Amino acid sequence: MITEMTRVMRILATVAIVACVPAAADAQVWLGKTKPRPGSVEISGGGTWTGGQSLPKSAATLTANPSGGLSSFEQFTSEPSMDPAFGVQGALAVYVTRAIAIEGGVRFSRPQLKVGLANDVEGAPDITASTTMSSYLFTGSLVYNVGAQGRTVPFIAAGAGHLRDVHTGNELVETGTEYHGKAGVKMWFGRTRQVGLRVEGGVSVRDGGFSYEDDRRFVPTAAASLVYLY
Amino acid sequence: MKRSAALCLTLMCVALSSDPASAYLKLGTQVDRGTVTLRWEEFPVRYFITNAAGGGVSATQLRDAVVSAFSRWDAVETAETTSEFVGFTGARPNDDDGLTVIGFENRPDQDRTLGATSFLIDTLTGEIVEAEIYLNSAFQWSVAANGQAERFDVESIALHEIGHLLGLGHSALGETELRNGGRRVIAAESVMFPVAFSAGSTAGRTLKTDDIAGISDTYPNPTYRRERGSVSGSVTKSGRGVLGAHVVAFNPRTGRLVGGFSLNADGRFVIGGLEPGPHVLRVEPLDDGDVESFFDLTLNIDANFRAKFHDRLVVVPRGGGASDIEIRVEPK
Ligand SMILES: [Zn+2]
Repeated sequence: MITEMTRVMRILATVAIVACVPAAADAQVWLGKTKPRPGSVEISGGGTWTGGQSLPKSAATLTANPSGGLSSFEQFTSEPSMDPAFGVQGALAVYVTRAIAIEGGVRFSRPQLKVGLANDVEGAPDITASTTMSSYLFTGSLVYNVGAQGRTVPFIAAGAGHLRDVHTGNELVETGTEYHGKAGVKMWFGRTRQVGLRVEGGVSVRDGGFSYEDDRRFVPTAAASLVYLY
Repeated sequence: MKRSAALCLTLMCVALSSDPASAYLKLGTQVDRGTVTLRWEEFPVRYFITNAAGGGVSATQLRDAVVSAFSRWDAVETAETTSEFVGFTGARPNDDDGLTVIGFENRPDQDRTLGATSFLIDTLTGEIVEAEIYLNSAFQWSVAANGQAERFDVESIALHEIGHLLGLGHSALGETELRNGGRRVIAAESVMFPVAFSAGSTAGRTLKTDDIAGISDTYPNPTYRRERGSVSGSVTKSGRGVLGAHVVAFNPRTGRLVGGFSLNADGRFVIGGLEPGPHVLRVEPLDDGDVESFFDLTLNIDANFRAKFHDRLVVVPRGGGASDIEIRVEPK
């Protein structure tokens, strides 16, 4: 009996151990031991917010007749602005190490351009003239994930992009270069932790594209995306 | 070939202006098949200077100022005009002698006219074959670098008259006020504004965006065709076209103003020479100025409407045109 019992217990124990192996192996993926790993791919898509541009009020000026004592003559005032815009984005990242990924992405938004017009010398009623353009931003970034195996993964990213602002009617395209830095966090859901939410904020530095000014400009950005890792 | 002296344009010194607006206007003439633009077909424009002093300025000083004024037009990067001073001549500016002559004429009867330009044109094609400019030596003139009190600046007025000589009409980009029975200019943003700055000023020596657009639209070079655009459309009131409305294009990025007029019964306008990008359009009537500085008085210019801004920003394409813009105005 003793002998029999001993055998039975051995078998159960063995089964128990065998049964535990898959569970332990499954957990090891999300403990960072297999994914993300070099070659892992992360796809994300979601909504974006891009800051606007607002210039101080200026005037349409004429050259004053020197004999009149005026330094300049204002025909009307102008206050240009570009509204902040919500849009969409998609990105695909490939991990080169368990913490570092190379990411390519595209953003699309439809900002509204406005010019407030007032104080007309001929009494033209004040109005805000407006139009809308389509703004595309194609980016490449290097992403560093801090503690990539956790359920909540902070990350930082930096990169460059190509800006393509297409005005209404597609007859005028203004292109430019963009550099960005951003930081955010990914929160992985569920037991498999392959699906998550990614939120981020950053600054985009832009040369070219549409702007009311020639100078390089700093544009705040934010985004929230769903992420899938495989 | 049928030719005739067709046009005489004058620059009034202290009187007779128009309502404020910004616009260049190309000169045209009526031919059997419609209106043709006046323009030179052969360059350089070869001109002589009358060998006579006037208003305190010698013929040599006049020559230097005129050469400088021509060079300002020739230097416009988006236009292709060239000019050449041939020499001094005993011919007067108004002789019909086959020469393009610039000089002083004593015209005390023209007590508000600083200078004038006349043409000999081919009335079949609109080609300018000869032109004359006189500066009225009944006024006192100056060629001093910074101007001289009580004297009109030769180069400023020559720059305006040469604009006519090259085929430009008057711009309406300016503000005036009534004073002493005439009009005094308060401000202007075009050399081609019909009222000069006061004596002593040299502010009229610099071509403005409006002038550059006008000369480039008349003599476009490949850069102009590639890099500039236009807006076109109509000004309507109660469903009908408005003739003679000033339409101003304002670039909110640069603050530059260029304009045009609605030039037919449908209220059609075209403004060329614009930088690519969004523009504000503003329309206003030609209602308290001297209409004949801009148009033939036989035209029924409609000034009975209120100034207004178009509610859409109009995006000017590079090397093309934004069209079919309708600006609806309201009667006063
Ligand atoms: Zn004139």
